[in-house]
Amino acid sequence: MKPLQPTLYELADDGHSLNFFFAQCSACGGLSFPANAPGCMHCGEPLSQATRITRPGGGELLEFVTLHVPLLPGMAAPSIAGDIRIAPGIVEEGVMAVADESALKHGMAVRAVAEVKPEEGVYACRFVPVNEGAAQ
Amino acid sequence: MSHTQQSNSGNWLDANGGVFIAGIGLHPYQFPTETPYTELGLTAVRAALADSGLAWDRVQSAHVGTTSIGMAAGRVMLRHLGSTGLAVTQVENASASGSFAFRQACMEVATGMSNVVLAVGVDKHGDGRRAANKDGLERLSETATIPAAKFAMMARTYLRERGASVEEMANAAVKNHGNAARNPFAQFRKPRTLEQVLASPRVVGDLTVQQCCPRGEGAAAVMVVSGNAIRHLGLDARRCVRVKASVAGSERPEMQYGDSAVELVRTSAQAAFDQAGIAPKELDLLELHDAFSVEELLYSEAIGVCEPGEGARYLARGDSQIGGRCAINASGGLIGMGHPLGPTGIGQLAEITRQLRGEADGRQHPNARWGMAHMIGLGSVSVAHVLSASA
Repeated sequence: MKPLQPTLYELADDGHSLNFFFAQCSACGGLSFPANAPGCMHCGEPLSQATRITRPGGGELLEFVTLHVPLLPGMAAPSIAGDIRIAPGIVEEGVMAVADESALKHGMAVRAVAEVKPEEGVYACRFVPVNEGAAQ
Repeated sequence: MSHTQQSNSGNWLDANGGVFIAGIGLHPYQFPTETPYTELGLTAVRAALADSGLAWDRVQSAHVGTTSIGMAAGRVMLRHLGSTGLAVTQVENASASGSFAFRQACMEVATGMSNVVLAVGVDKHGDGRRAANKDGLERLSETATIPAAKFAMMARTYLRERGASVEEMANAAVKNHGNAARNPFAQFRKPRTLEQVLASPRVVGDLTVQQCCPRGEGAAAVMVVSGNAIRHLGLDARRCVRVKASVAGSERPEMQYGDSAVELVRTSAQAAFDQAGIAPKELDLLELHDAFSVEELLYSEAIGVCEPGEGARYLARGDSQIGGRCAINASGGLIGMGHPLGPTGIGQLAEITRQLRGEADGRQHPNARWGMAHMIGLGSVSVAHVLSASA
C-alpha cells in the first residue's frame, strides 16, 4: 500500500497514524510544508540545504465546514473539510473523517490517520479527533 | 513603504492632465452560450467608443483582461474594428484580470506614453485551470485551492466572532440580487427574498447557491484618456470620470488565522484612500468582490465604510442600499450581476462611472461623488481604484 501523496506523509509505526514531512530551513530554522517546497515559507531561503523533519501528523482544528456538493469531479459529498494548524505558522486544509460536524469543536486536537483505498492500492490522509480510536 | 502604499503628495495619476474614463460599454453577462468571444468583446468596445465619442483610429493601445480564452485574444478580436497597428497586451490575474488591465491603461496614460487607451475584459466560461494546481506540490485536501471552501470557513469564523446570524449574511445576497434585477447587463435579473436565498441548495457550509456568484461569459470596456486628450479631442468633460487612485498588492503571511485576505483588502483600500486624499466614509459607491455573501460583510469592514464588527448591522440598517450611506454593489455585484472573470473588474468601473455621471437609470444612487472599485483574485492579489465625478 502506497501513500496517495508521497511527498506529504508516510505511515507511522502503529500502521494507522501518519507522519508528516517538513523541511527545516537552514537560515531561519522555520518549518515549511510540504518539504519539497522551492522556498522557505518564512524567509524565502532555498530549501536545498534544509533538514527533512518527520513529525506525527496532526494539529489544532481551526475551522470546519461541510461540503454539500462535489466541488470537483468525482469528489465525495457530503464531506467535511477543516483548516488545521499542523505546525507553528502552517495551516493546511484537510479532510475530516467523522460522520458529521457534531463530532468536531473549534480548537480541538486532531491527528492524521490513513484511510485505505484498496481499489487504488493507496492510503489517503484523513483527520480525526485525537481521542477518537480508529479511522472511519 | 509597503508595496501597496502610495504617497498622497505627487499623485502619479495627476500627470498628463489627469487620467479619466471617457466611455463605457458592456455586453450583458450571461450563462455560457455558443456566442464567440469576439462578438461579446466587440459589443462592449463599440459601445464604449460610441459612449466616449472617440473613433477607433484614435485608440493607441489596448489592454485585454481575460482568463479562459487563450493566447493573444486581443488582436484576434480587435482586428475587426480595423487593423490600426495599436499596441495590444493581454492581462491575466484571475478575478482581477480586468481591473489590472485597467490599471495598466491608467499607468500608460499617466506616463504620457499614450493619451487614449482601451481597457477591455472579455471571457467565456473556461475550464477553471489554476496555476496553484500546477506548482508541483501535493496538498492534503483536493479542495485546498477551491475558493468556495475557503470562504465558507471564513463565513463560519465571521458569524461566530461577530455574533451574526446566517440570515444576516444571506441578506447581502438579497440586496445584490435586488440591485441586479434593475441592471440590464446583469446575469441574474430576479429579485430574491431572504427565504428564497436561504432555501436554495446548500453548497458549502452556510453558503447556499444564491449566496454564491454565477460563472458565465460577457464583456466590459472603458476608454481611458488623459486630461490633455479631453481638451485636444473635444470630448465631453462633464461625462468624464476621474481616476484618483490605483493601488495593487498581494497577500502577506497571516497574523492570525484567516486574516490574510481581509488584511490584503484593508491595506490596498487604505492605500487607495491615501492616494485619493479621501476618507473611507466619504465613499458614495463601493463595488467589491462578493463572490460569496460573507465577503461583502468582511470587506465593508476592512475597507472602512463601516466600523470593524459592524458589517452585518451596516447592511441591516440599509446603509449599503442604493440611497443609503454608501451603495455597495449597486450593479448587483458578483452575486447578482455575475462574475465572468475577465470583464468583472471593468464592469465595476463601468458601473461607478455610470453612477457618478448620474446615468444609472432605475438604480441611481443620489448625489454620488466618490466611488471605489475593489477586486481580489486567486493567488491572492488585490487592486483598488477610486473614481471621482467631474468637477
